[in-house]
Amino acid sequence: MAQAEMRTISSPAVRKRRKTLLQVLKDNSGFLFVLPAVIIFLVFGLYTVIYSIVLSFFRWNGFGKFSILPFACDPPACQFAGLDNFAQFLYKEPTLSQFFWQALEHNAIMAVFVTLGTIVVALPLAIALNRAARGQAAYRIIIMLPMVTAGIAIYYVWTFIYQPDGLLNSVLGTLGLNLLQAKQGWLGQADRALFSLIIVMIWGAVPMATILYLAGLQTIDRELYEAAKMDGASAWRLLWNITWPLLFPVTVVIVITSINSVLQGYEMVYLMTYGGPAAHTEVVGLQIFKYGFGDQRQLGMASAMSWVLFALVFVVALLNMRIFRSQTEA
Amino acid sequence: MDKVRGYVSTVISYIVLTAYALLSLYPFLWMVSSALKSNREVLSSQSLIPQELHFDVIVNTWNQLNFFKYFTNSVIISVLAVGGIVLVYSMAGFGFAKTRFVGRNLLFIAFLGVMFVPGVTVLVPLVQLLRALGMIGRDATQVATYTGLIMPIINGAGPLSIFLFRNYFSTLPGELHDAARVDGSSNWGIYFRIFLPLATPVIATVGILNFIGTWNAYIWPSIVLNNPDWFTLPLKLKDLDLQIVVQWNVRMAGSLITVIPVILVFLFLQRYYIRGLTAGAIRG
Repeated sequence: MAQAEMRTISSPAVRKRRKTLLQVLKDNSGFLFVLPAVIIFLVFGLYTVIYSIVLSFFRWNGFGKFSILPFACDPPACQFAGLDNFAQFLYKEPTLSQFFWQALEHNAIMAVFVTLGTIVVALPLAIALNRAARGQAAYRIIIMLPMVTAGIAIYYVWTFIYQPDGLLNSVLGTLGLNLLQAKQGWLGQADRALFSLIIVMIWGAVPMATILYLAGLQTIDRELYEAAKMDGASAWRLLWNITWPLLFPVTVVIVITSINSVLQGYEMVYLMTYGGPAAHTEVVGLQIFKYGFGDQRQLGMASAMSWVLFALVFVVALLNMRIFRSQTEA
Repeated sequence: MDKVRGYVSTVISYIVLTAYALLSLYPFLWMVSSALKSNREVLSSQSLIPQELHFDVIVNTWNQLNFFKYFTNSVIISVLAVGGIVLVYSMAGFGFAKTRFVGRNLLFIAFLGVMFVPGVTVLVPLVQLLRALGMIGRDATQVATYTGLIMPIINGAGPLSIFLFRNYFSTLPGELHDAARVDGSSNWGIYFRIFLPLATPVIATVGILNFIGTWNAYIWPSIVLNNPDWFTLPLKLKDLDLQIVVQWNVRMAGSLITVIPVILVFLFLQRYYIRGLTAGAIRG
């Protein structure tokens, strides 16, 4: 009724404008639900991303002042560097660039072996799990455990297994395979450390891949197999001509996830070897961390390198999406 | 013939599964057994069965090494982070799925777009930001420091959580919304009384994914928390390394305390965990 009174009072023109303004606000009131997320995103997401982009063009050791809102960069602690940060670790400065490319090479080796290893273990495991009607739930829980407990607690166990007087060496000793033992420990020896980390990574990545493959297998029509068996196809042919192609989308997802986590992840390396021995397990993420929080800080360098890492992550994701599209459309 | 073949492959399946289950489980079994051994026995014996049970190790770790305190810290941080994530992003998911406003789709894409930025990229800026806000450093209180620790964790959970909540709310029928509107409920009433209670499965999914992630996190908390009294379990565990002689049985007792809550949560909510993983991966 109050509204009716209002209408009679206000002139048509005012009424119309008021109504539209009110209406606009009302129509967009749904934005309020998104507002908290937007505020958090602006402050802790967008702001830090822009900060990092700007910082990558400066040389700054963390002392003195650098800020972007309002902008400040006080010499000598902070200096404009242009693209020099990028140039330095990519090619200009021999020690730095060697260090960077070596780390990237380790990332690449890890990406290839972790991805292959994960698929080679997870696919048979998922097929077996799919066949096991009885006890499937229990097996699935046990197989998934390494994924939920990723973190320092479980890295400790692996560190012990790999110690000079640890489990792996003593088991090899018991088996009479003393030749294979790593006398300085599996993580302490330059020729074994990277390989040893890859094993732990595969151990940690198999659960997720198995679950994804299992979900994929459960969508495959059983009649396909029955029909192929009628035609006398061997088990091997069934796997190669039915299972593998139909699971291809899942495989692509696993490949993306695996490469992505190898490129972005460095916590395990940080906790188990800190890049050692003598940088033989150094990875790009850890190197960025060291520039940002290590003994000799070069924060601009850390930012620059992290944007190169971003570019890699992005390109890998795009490439995989493209393969995914071309394969699923064909 | 076919029957025999089927039988053989089932047997092979169980052999493969059991072999891998042992491999998967072994580190945990070793953790439990070592937490019950003397340090000397941990180093000298490969057997999983302790010669003599030392329950005192785990009791001492909990009491004298104050693990109960770090346990409490971990619980506080994880619960607050998960609570914040569920509240903020269920609202956002509802906003994106069930309300209209200018720029809605663009904003949604912007949220998903930041997914590709590696976590390590924003570490330095975050620390500078927290410093400017007085949430890090010697003068910062515990409340301020924990806020500074948690907010970026909430932000990091944004893309996947919004995605999951939005997708779920989109599948709920529009009639729910219309019926409530006819009753005179506002959007807020509809969200709190109808949609949020219906979202329990997604809340469980988002909750468990982020609980596990936050509970296990090492690097970010190690940067923000500089007062040892405020440490989480993983930080305290790493702190044990500073001892001159590494006590493996103590380490394993601490590891066990760290791992058990996660395993329990996982056992209770594993259905939702699997759902979150598959949904998250397919999005990628």
